[in-house]
Amino acid sequence: MQIKLNGQIIDLNLDLDTEGDMPLLWAIRDEIGLKGTKFGCGKGLCGACTVHLNGVAIRSCITPIAAIDGQSITTIEGLADGDKLHAVQESWMAHNVPQCGYCQSGQLMSASALLASNPNPNDDDIDAAMSGNICRCGTYPRIKAAIKDAAKQTQAGLDLAYEVKV
Amino acid sequence: MTDSSKLNLSNNISSMMTSRRQLIKVSAAAAGSFSLGFALTGCATQTSRDVSEQGAWAANAWLTIEPDNRIRFVLDRVEMGQGTYTGITTLLAEELHVTPEDIEVEFAPAAQVYRNPDYGLQMTGGSNSMSSSWMQIRSVGATAREMIMAAASEVFQVPESHLSADAAHIVHSASGKKLTYGSLAKLAAKQDIPSEPTLTAPEAFKYIGKQNKRLDSRLKVTGTANYGIDADIEGMRYAVVSRAPTIGAELVSHNGEALAKEPGVEAVVEIASGVAIVANSYWRARKAEEKLKVEWKQDPEAPESTQAIFDYYRAQAAEDSGSSIRSDGDFDDAVESASKVLDVEYQAPFLAHSTMEPMNCTAHIQEDRADIWTSTQASDVAQVVVAKVTDLSISDVTIHNQFIGGGFGRRLSQDFVGEAAEISNKVGGVIKLVWSREEDTQNDFFRPASLHRLRATIDAGGKVSGWDHQIVCPEILDWFVWDAAPAMFPWAPKFMYPMLGKVGQITAGTPITPADTSPYEGANNLPYAIPSIDVRHTKADAGVPVSYWRSVGHSHNAFVTEGFIDELATESGKDAYTFRRELLADSPRLKRVLDEVAKKGQWGRSTEPGVFQGIAAHKSFGTYVAELVELKIEHGQIRVLKVVCAVDCGLVVNPDIVRMQMESCVIFGVTAALYGEITIENGAIQQSNFHDYEMLRMDKSPKIETIIVASKESPTGVGEPGLPPIAPAIACALFAATGKRHRSLPFKLS
Repeated sequence: MQIKLNGQIIDLNLDLDTEGDMPLLWAIRDEIGLKGTKFGCGKGLCGACTVHLNGVAIRSCITPIAAIDGQSITTIEGLADGDKLHAVQESWMAHNVPQCGYCQSGQLMSASALLASNPNPNDDDIDAAMSGNICRCGTYPRIKAAIKDAAKQTQAGLDLAYEVKV
Repeated sequence: MTDSSKLNLSNNISSMMTSRRQLIKVSAAAAGSFSLGFALTGCATQTSRDVSEQGAWAANAWLTIEPDNRIRFVLDRVEMGQGTYTGITTLLAEELHVTPEDIEVEFAPAAQVYRNPDYGLQMTGGSNSMSSSWMQIRSVGATAREMIMAAASEVFQVPESHLSADAAHIVHSASGKKLTYGSLAKLAAKQDIPSEPTLTAPEAFKYIGKQNKRLDSRLKVTGTANYGIDADIEGMRYAVVSRAPTIGAELVSHNGEALAKEPGVEAVVEIASGVAIVANSYWRARKAEEKLKVEWKQDPEAPESTQAIFDYYRAQAAEDSGSSIRSDGDFDDAVESASKVLDVEYQAPFLAHSTMEPMNCTAHIQEDRADIWTSTQASDVAQVVVAKVTDLSISDVTIHNQFIGGGFGRRLSQDFVGEAAEISNKVGGVIKLVWSREEDTQNDFFRPASLHRLRATIDAGGKVSGWDHQIVCPEILDWFVWDAAPAMFPWAPKFMYPMLGKVGQITAGTPITPADTSPYEGANNLPYAIPSIDVRHTKADAGVPVSYWRSVGHSHNAFVTEGFIDELATESGKDAYTFRRELLADSPRLKRVLDEVAKKGQWGRSTEPGVFQGIAAHKSFGTYVAELVELKIEHGQIRVLKVVCAVDCGLVVNPDIVRMQMESCVIFGVTAALYGEITIENGAIQQSNFHDYEMLRMDKSPKIETIIVASKESPTGVGEPGLPPIAPAIACALFAATGKRHRSLPFKLS
């Protein structure tokens, strides 16, 4: 099977008939070798494994690879544009969000998917999009602040791009 | 290492016992006297003159200056979120006159030089990383800087007063000429080692107290920080272990042979804790496990239920009044002359740690060496468990420690390392063992459940005259000592390990071994001015594995003592803040943080309808914290809306990390107070994953405001002290909201 991972076509040497139930998480981590996506619960309860499927946040630990044959996946490794970090990554650093950091790949993938669909989320929007992601270090207040800040930065960036175009 | 490492243990039992006093659980107050002696002197930083062929100066076990001016720092206190990676590096940066960002940080291997001086073990815990590194790492930096300066003085042929050290360069003020530290390293190594390097005066600090950015942020927002679970070693195979479904059950039989044909399966072996399946991928090992059938024999001694454990605690409490931990005045006299006696019972449950990174370890056991890749809070204890399950000695075991995806005390126990080592030893090659969330929850070493009987007397004048607190719970040391004691004596032959553990266990509380303070810490030093105070501990161990859990004994004792103080405030007709304040005359720092939250949180303000305030204060690990909460009851659930937190942790190294840790402790503490409860039925842990062992999530997370009290005292820790006051602050507000006392955790409204 093939998937598009972070913009690259990847051939997965897995037999979908016998191993189609392998969660995407383990394909990403152990077959492909990208370790940024984390295992937390295996049941879609904590969000540590969050990746984008065609731009939408999903839990890779409960998504069988058979379901994503030929589709486009983005992981934390694909969030930045080369050395240029995504607005949420910059904002996370500015707000000192990560502590142990283990859940943060998943938090960032949920947050970036939120901003992609809703560039100016309010508190309730953020709660709704982010409450599936557990952080045992309790970085929630900072995540919320960082998302709002990233939204502002993104808005400013978009406005600027628009002006340049005109 | 020291000469003592060459001691023949059997001939020097007395010196062994002396060393043993440095064991594991020395209280913060006693820590200084048990210190291994990292004084301020240059010698004490064990400065070396080692220069590699390439010209890198390994100034000591912590610092290497490379010829290309890279500054490499070996961090011996693990990074599990609490901020050592940034905070301790900042200490080095300050004295070395380099920016913290320019220091390359590496995690320490297991070695005696990296032992935590307060414990005599290479352990990170007890919120003492900053306090134990404060003089030592600054001294490391200052020593190196002075030797580099002396070298530069030789090169420039001018007195040192004409030179300055800045950004890893020595600058000649008059000419503006510069030399890098790296270019001076070789010559620096030959200079006199200063016996008393001059530490920077606090007024001149450039980074300490000012550095706010974390040095590990970029790694952690790009997914490039490596945790134990990310180990990727050539030839690695994966293992999962099926463990006993009930506490203490014995393996009878299994159908492992039938799994040989399952895809990817390479071996099925029995290990001490169960049956291990080794496969060429994690998922294949898990799939095969579905077909594994194991028969277990239930341990007749296994705890029947949580209820039975608390009944047993009650029976023990009645039978054994406990060992006296503190006895001021005469409580019986206080009862005699009391106008009122209160008599209540509090209790706190078993709790799991639930680190986001499940337990895992990658092990490679070979004939003459072992390599272990993992996330551990106690590298030298990890060496012991590897030695125990192999033919190797402790010195053969190399620990490659990684970033830690949450510790909270769970990774002080090394069971997962022992499992991986045992599997690798049996099947050969590199084995990566990863636990599932369910396994992680059910095979934890839990925060001990505890029962508390409290009495207090109020005299004719309405004043509290007596306090009697009986704590019923197990001792953590009984569980921890078996692997920890041998780590203290790495030269001891393995047949002595059980003896070392036994000696440690039976001598706890005697002059030979410090007492296990975990049952009563936070209760014995009740800060309130009450004429008669009795604190007693009745030991009761139900056989449930227990360990250190964020803030340890304080996690239950602060709830109990502050909860009961709140009851006494009401009995005395005073409000929770004023009552505490009046009895804290002898604890100015605790009173100060209490005042700060009362002021900032507007204690007693007229709140919106349905919103109630609560307040509590507690000192732990040398740090003073008060918290004021506002909560409401929403759809029958407690909703903590806001927490104002004030902290006095002495001199602050990184203000934002202090705030982060307060926020972290508050959310960890609210989680435990509202949801945390591990229960047992027929010997089996009833919770398994985040659906039945819930965590606070963003939508229920309170707003948190932290006030840092300025202080010139030496720095104390922040990883745990923010946690203890939150449960009693919630209890205080719940009483205001419901008119009922909530004396059991987690809080339940019905």
